[in-house]
Amino acid sequence: MAEMLVVAEGLGKVYGTDIQTVALDDVSFQIEAGGFAAIVGRSGSGKSTLLNLLGLLDTPTYGTLRLRGVESNSLDKPGRAALRNKLLGFVFQYHHLLPEFSVRENILMPVLISEAPIDSEVEARLTETMDVLGLEGLGDKNANSLSGGQKQRVAIGRALMNRPAIVLADEPTGNLDTENSEAVYALFREINREWGTTFLIVTHDQDIASMTDRILEIRDGRLEQDVRNAYAPRSG
Amino acid sequence: MLPLTIAWRFLRTSPVQSVLIVFGIAVGIAVQVFVGSLITSLQASLIQTTIGSSPHITLAAPKDGDPIAYTDLVKRVVSSTPNVSAVVPTRSISALYVRDTDRIPLTIKGGDLATLNQIYRLRQRTVTGDPTLKQGQIVIGLDLAKKYALVPGDRMTITTGAGTQIALTVSAIVDLGSSAANLRQAFSGPELPRSELGYRADQYSAVEVQLTDPFLSKTIAPEWRTRLGNVKVSDWQVENKDLLTALNSQSASSYMIQVFVLVAVALGIASTLAISAVQKTKQIGILKALGMADGATATIFLWQSAMLGIVGTSLGVGLGFSLIAGFTFGTARSGSGFPIVAQPGFIAISAGIGILVALLSAIIPTRKTAKLDPIEVIQNG
Repeated sequence: MAEMLVVAEGLGKVYGTDIQTVALDDVSFQIEAGGFAAIVGRSGSGKSTLLNLLGLLDTPTYGTLRLRGVESNSLDKPGRAALRNKLLGFVFQYHHLLPEFSVRENILMPVLISEAPIDSEVEARLTETMDVLGLEGLGDKNANSLSGGQKQRVAIGRALMNRPAIVLADEPTGNLDTENSEAVYALFREINREWGTTFLIVTHDQDIASMTDRILEIRDGRLEQDVRNAYAPRSG
Repeated sequence: MLPLTIAWRFLRTSPVQSVLIVFGIAVGIAVQVFVGSLITSLQASLIQTTIGSSPHITLAAPKDGDPIAYTDLVKRVVSSTPNVSAVVPTRSISALYVRDTDRIPLTIKGGDLATLNQIYRLRQRTVTGDPTLKQGQIVIGLDLAKKYALVPGDRMTITTGAGTQIALTVSAIVDLGSSAANLRQAFSGPELPRSELGYRADQYSAVEVQLTDPFLSKTIAPEWRTRLGNVKVSDWQVENKDLLTALNSQSASSYMIQVFVLVAVALGIASTLAISAVQKTKQIGILKALGMADGATATIFLWQSAMLGIVGTSLGVGLGFSLIAGFTFGTARSGSGFPIVAQPGFIAISAGIGILVALLSAIIPTRKTAKLDPIEVIQNG
């Protein structure tokens, strides 16, 4: 039986004290290791709130969240930051690269943050990551000098550098044209298949969602649907 | 040391901003170093001119005009006190120099040249002539000489308190540093006052003492008062209160200038770092999302301010030295003023304060950075 990487039980998030807004209410689901799932919903449905909770960027008002068995509520802020660095990789809608650093340094950033030494094993991992993403020869370029598609690939490389168990992608193709969007999806699929990385993709793009193995639909802060997509293409 | 690397990259990608703030700090520290050294040297020069050639502590008999006995007790107390640089027992007489209708009161101190030189430095202060103090010779001040066109070799007749008229030869003219002294103070060999006063061999008008640091008189004089009993112990600081008030006011104004310069530097760094913190909000948010702890991100701006502070302060110290050298060169060429002596201790403290001020200026951006929520950044592009 596959390991349950993400276990959410009765997850809720309420903002405000005097005037309370329920952004997420009683959401429960589990994601197994190696899963490839989409979280869909309209703007303001609560899907970004869910992503923030899953990404340990925010804490639930009620309910519990366990990531690879670690209860998120048991961690303090530095503890959540350390787990985020080790267990999670982020791909944002806007690539969010650091313009002060080269492509190589941007991809290495999660390793640098963890203060791990840049040894031969890390160098090998970096080379493999850049090869997979088609970024050979671009390592010394400034991150700002790349095209939009290349920047997004660097951002994906950064998310994968620590070989995280889970990649959380927030509208990863929202800023890309069709060709680059399909390329990003193909890349996710390939990495999911080859490296066994679990992907959770927040999107409002139905085409992208329909290509994932599982679709969780959030509506008005509640988990409306959780369906297995038997028709998803399994190869990039 | 990722925060240090990030801090350096942030500074490098905003070169104009970084250079401007470094120069801001440098100018501030240079002003601090220059003004501080100028005032310190000015005060040292003023003290040297005013009291450098006069006694810091004077021992005399309790009643004016009576002689003080230079006893073994006095010798023992004075010689056992540290920081005493010169002890000169002197005999002085009052006399009048009558010229036409003018009657100038003079105080003539008698002694051999080597002894008087310990305090009055007659050789260094000689403007013209040779300050020998042979019998029948007198050394007079510059103002008296100018007023009556006296030159070495001239004869001048004085009338002593007892009414005796004595003709003396001017051997040298000295500049004693103040016009009052230059008009009324004169020096002779030991015979003149001794014969006039009729003192015993161990009796003097006063025992004059100089200290290595003139300001120590404040503690030494009361101690001697207690130990010597029936002796009048005069402290220059008590008798020159106006000068001390002026020196203290000068110090206070110097401190004010330095404090305001440092406040201006601090505000400059703080505003630049605050702008930098706003400009780099996105990067800080991304770093936090990638797992960098709040504490580590907060140190980025601390490193930035440390680098700005160290570079700016070093440049400022260099610039301060250049200003000091320029000022000294300028005044030396014009033949006026005094040399500014750079005080290593003061400069080290200024540099330390400069760096500390830079670090304190990072408090606001550091706190802002620590509080930043990465969600705000990553969702707003």
